[in-house]
Amino acid sequence: MTTINEEIAALLRDSGVSKVLATADMQGVPHILLDQSITINDEGQIVYLELTETSQTNVNLVNSIWFKRRVAVTVSTGKETYQIKGTPAYSIICGPVFEHYYKQALERNPDYDLSTVWLIEPEEITADTYAHRRSREQAEHPLVMHLDRLALGTI
Amino acid sequence: MCAATAQSASRSEELTLKEVISKYSNVSPFVIIKSDITRRSFVYTERALGALDKTKHQHQQRVLIGSNGDGERAVPVSLLLRDGTSIIAMPSPHAKNPYVVDEIGGKLYITDQGEIVEEVEYWYKPHYYDKFTSAGTPMWQVASARPQRLDIDPNSHCHFWHKGGACKFCNINANSTRSRKESNIQKQLQAQDVYETVREALKQPGAFTNLKMSSGSILSGAEIFDDEVEMYIEMLQAAGANFRQRKFPSTLVASAFNERQLARLYENTGLMTYTSDIEIPNEELFAWICKGKHQEVGYREWKRRIIAAVDIFGRGNVTSGIVGGCETARPHGIRDEAEALKVVLEEAEDFAQQGVSMVHCVWVPMQGSAFHNQETPSLEYYVQLAKGLSDLRVKYSLNADMDNYRKCGNHPDTDLDRGRPVAG
Repeated sequence: MTTINEEIAALLRDSGVSKVLATADMQGVPHILLDQSITINDEGQIVYLELTETSQTNVNLVNSIWFKRRVAVTVSTGKETYQIKGTPAYSIICGPVFEHYYKQALERNPDYDLSTVWLIEPEEITADTYAHRRSREQAEHPLVMHLDRLALGTI
Repeated sequence: MCAATAQSASRSEELTLKEVISKYSNVSPFVIIKSDITRRSFVYTERALGALDKTKHQHQQRVLIGSNGDGERAVPVSLLLRDGTSIIAMPSPHAKNPYVVDEIGGKLYITDQGEIVEEVEYWYKPHYYDKFTSAGTPMWQVASARPQRLDIDPNSHCHFWHKGGACKFCNINANSTRSRKESNIQKQLQAQDVYETVREALKQPGAFTNLKMSSGSILSGAEIFDDEVEMYIEMLQAAGANFRQRKFPSTLVASAFNERQLARLYENTGLMTYTSDIEIPNEELFAWICKGKHQEVGYREWKRRIIAAVDIFGRGNVTSGIVGGCETARPHGIRDEAEALKVVLEEAEDFAQQGVSMVHCVWVPMQGSAFHNQETPSLEYYVQLAKGLSDLRVKYSLNADMDNYRKCGNHPDTDLDRGRPVAG
């Protein structure tokens, strides 16, 4: 498990910030979920609250914890974007932690019937704006570009 | 067919846990670990027992079959894996090659020969656990709490034990007699206690997804099992009085009732699903291992009644449990594991074709049962059995939501369904 710095942790805690969870099924078919309630706990694990027991995301997460398959969380304000890859480490379906989040979900919406509290342990964090990606590309693949960008008269 | 055929592989030739996990790389390792812990049993270190917090964890329980440890000391009721898989097993000082639960660095682990296998957690106490009914009965003696299931077992005495008809894998009467003597746990529950305990249990947010009732068989009545049916109606009505709708997620694990009895149960209670265990899915072995059931009802009629329940409860709402591996018991069992597996899965397919899911638990040759000196089959056998039963549900589009990992937790095969759920 790697440590998420305070700047990114603050974004994860901010319910106004967009967060996306990407999983894949056993055949590799991707599944994307937008969920601003994704957050981080005091142990530095990403917390995802699954409301539907047999949703595609939940099934993919089950297979991820069973077979150590990684998932990705993207957190973005528009200006800043980070991608966190990690592995589900705990699928909590009962006990005091579950009850805490069950009540929290109910407060958010009385119709919510929490299925599972997923704790995802981060393993790799990358800044993911275009500027960051371009900077990495130029450093690692300096030959990969269009020539017109280097022509006289261009910036 | 019951006679021993080819001898199964010797114990020394069995694959280790690691080898089985590697060989069956498309089967959840958590489910494989669960099966092996149940099969081999486990013990606690002093450090692990020191981590038991009686204010947080369950340490005593009303158990129908099995026990809650064999010593004087309080032990955790059971274990939970990281992925939410329950391990319904008890520590056994008699086990020949048990796993060891240890506390290492503030966490609990299942270990084997000093190596960490997986992290585990003790089961938490539900909020009702330390409360009492108005009659003064401790609520933990009325309802047991699996992680997400409320278990109410109104009668822990089985009439099949009279005249030597007990199922050879079962210790229900030995266990209930001992529980009565050592812990003052009554064999029969009172309906008012059930009503009050369920009322209290439902106050805890998100604690339970199912209410299950089970008991020892009651043979008395105008027709066999009539009194058992009446007892369940009384108890289910008492529990059901706490719900705002008539039907609520609930399961009965009971004797094989006839259509008239099943209809009475369905029409007069909130019951939604029904299980009657065929136990050993082979007529000759059933006659030997479940002698009382075979004499009083018979394998074919027991099976027919289970399948008839689909017309009342609906497809996917009827399951039948087997004591997985018991079909290999000495001296009349099928000693060749491949042959035993074939026999079990063929019969399971016949059930599935008719709308009934067969689910298995891992046979534990427990103290107090006639088979307490027997050996279970290999771990590989259990992996193939779990996968085979789960595959049948996919093949026949049968879902096992009524008996899934969080509603029961005692079936490795339904644990596997979680990774590829079938729509009902």
